[in-house]
Amino acid sequence: MASASVLNPADVSPGSVKVAEPTRDIMPPVKVRKGLWGFMWRNPTIAVGGTILLLMVIMAVFAPLFWTVDPTALAPARRTREPSLEHWFGTDMLGRDVYSRVVYGARVSLIVGFAVALFSSIIGLTIGLVSGFVRWADGIIMRIMDGLMSIPSILLAIALMALTRGSVGNVILAITVAEVPRVSRLVRGVVLSLREQPYVDAAVAAGTRTPVIIWRHILPNTIAPMTVQATYVCASAMIVESILSFIGAGTPPIIPSWGNIMAEGRALWQVKPYIVFFPAVFLSITVLAVNMLGDGLRDALDPRMAKRI
Amino acid sequence: MFAYVVRRILATIPVMAVVALFVFSLLYIAPGDPAAVIAGDQATPEDVERIRASLGLDRPYLVRFGAWVWDIMRGDLGVSIFTNLPVSTMIQQRIEPTLSLMVVTLLLAVSVAVPLGVLAAWKVGTWVDNAVMSFAVLAFSVPVFVVGYLLAYIFALELDWLPVQGYTAFSQGFWPWLENLILPAIALGSVYIALIARITRATMLEVLQQDYIRTARAKGAGQRSILFLHALKNAAVPIVTVIGIGIALLIGGAVVTESVFAIPGLGRLTVDAILRRDYPVIQGVVLLFSFVYVLVNLAIDLLYTLFDPRIRY
Repeated sequence: MASASVLNPADVSPGSVKVAEPTRDIMPPVKVRKGLWGFMWRNPTIAVGGTILLLMVIMAVFAPLFWTVDPTALAPARRTREPSLEHWFGTDMLGRDVYSRVVYGARVSLIVGFAVALFSSIIGLTIGLVSGFVRWADGIIMRIMDGLMSIPSILLAIALMALTRGSVGNVILAITVAEVPRVSRLVRGVVLSLREQPYVDAAVAAGTRTPVIIWRHILPNTIAPMTVQATYVCASAMIVESILSFIGAGTPPIIPSWGNIMAEGRALWQVKPYIVFFPAVFLSITVLAVNMLGDGLRDALDPRMAKRI
Repeated sequence: MFAYVVRRILATIPVMAVVALFVFSLLYIAPGDPAAVIAGDQATPEDVERIRASLGLDRPYLVRFGAWVWDIMRGDLGVSIFTNLPVSTMIQQRIEPTLSLMVVTLLLAVSVAVPLGVLAAWKVGTWVDNAVMSFAVLAFSVPVFVVGYLLAYIFALELDWLPVQGYTAFSQGFWPWLENLILPAIALGSVYIALIARITRATMLEVLQQDYIRTARAKGAGQRSILFLHALKNAAVPIVTVIGIGIALLIGGAVVTESVFAIPGLGRLTVDAILRRDYPVIQGVVLLFSFVYVLVNLAIDLLYTLFDPRIRY
């Protein structure tokens, strides 16, 4: 470090050494956008997906304010009208306003999507944690999960719905049962890999009790993959709901849901395709938004995984 | 390796046992009297009694399960409540359309998706890659019956290129058979294509980073031979695995696609059974599909050990 003493500013009188001009940056300074706006700017898929989803939620919550009429009001005199100024999306075979039904139908799809995502995350997290920490239970739990996973999930949901009365609650329950095995497998995998981490070994060596290790070291690290998984579960639940309603094993026909509207438009689809078309567009856009949100979150939360799948 | 094959085959037994127990128990998980559940809302007390007797509800649970499994092993899936025909006969009558639809879809999906994924990985970051990936996200977001209606509307109703609905048996000739299956297969295959294309791209991207790809480039191998001979061969295991797992999507989607295109297959049988609460039929179909799914994936796992010399157990 000899050169350090030569350039010691204390030894040099002012003016005797010519100070070089600061080098001009070759690259312009990186503009770092902070806060929510910056996050959105860096993750356009999250921004777009999140915005569309938010709009759908607003539409569902404030459905009466969106120039709708009673979605269940029958008007046999005005059956199967083409879309017009009076009926934006036309009317169905019972004369109900398709636009109002589509706006109200957002409620069912969103509730089912969010509820299934929430419940299957909670149940999957619990099962995954137990499986990852309790040796003797792991074998039994995973055999059961393997068994459930080998029943194609739509078929499993159909079989469950065939038994029960069609209601929103039963649809949520049936789809949750079909989604739980995948979530538990994911959590178990994360837990098993985290248990090998040096900081968990250190915590064990320091005499930390298992519940504390789970709470402090394991749980926080499962949140990122769980969130991503939950968005995909939400998207798939909305699709399964529409499929169940479409084949007549979903929500009761009295409640307008996107799947129900399409199921009712089925008989007429060759002559009046708009009855199927409008709910299909809304459903697809919503599911697309949730999928974009999921992809964006995956890239943002786990940069190593980014750009892979 | 022999020990592995035996272990892998034995490992499917508990899985199938869980499936069987679950399918059997479904009826008893539901709240209320199983006989009344099967009979439905409009049943008379005599109907309920008749069903109760046919289910043998007076015997203990495990005895009933044992008897049920024994029957299944002998190919007896019970009797339909609605038609009074044996479920196995009903399945036999309906299996050809479903099998045809699935085979056509599988062939179509694999022959489209794998080149698409390879292309996306080769042109990574370009508009080609973005287009393939955007298609994949879109395909994941549109329900299969919507794709079905859209295709039927455009190619059958508007353009009149293909029949709108229906099914022609294979024995009536190859082209009439295929003609009816093209649109359903594209509709059913869209999600499957998206899934396979995504995994192909991801695996290919990983493989293309390997040293032996650089070696192949250095020795002057052509682009096509690098992509399809050197890289794809080494990326095959994850791709084939996903093709196997994705069959679950095909099975679930077939139920819906058959409704859209009026194909008289197992899917339609399931939908009709649900509407009539014909529980033995639902049990039979779920059981059959699940076992086929497990066995296909078992076969794929075993094929690896034969064809991939790197896998040694």
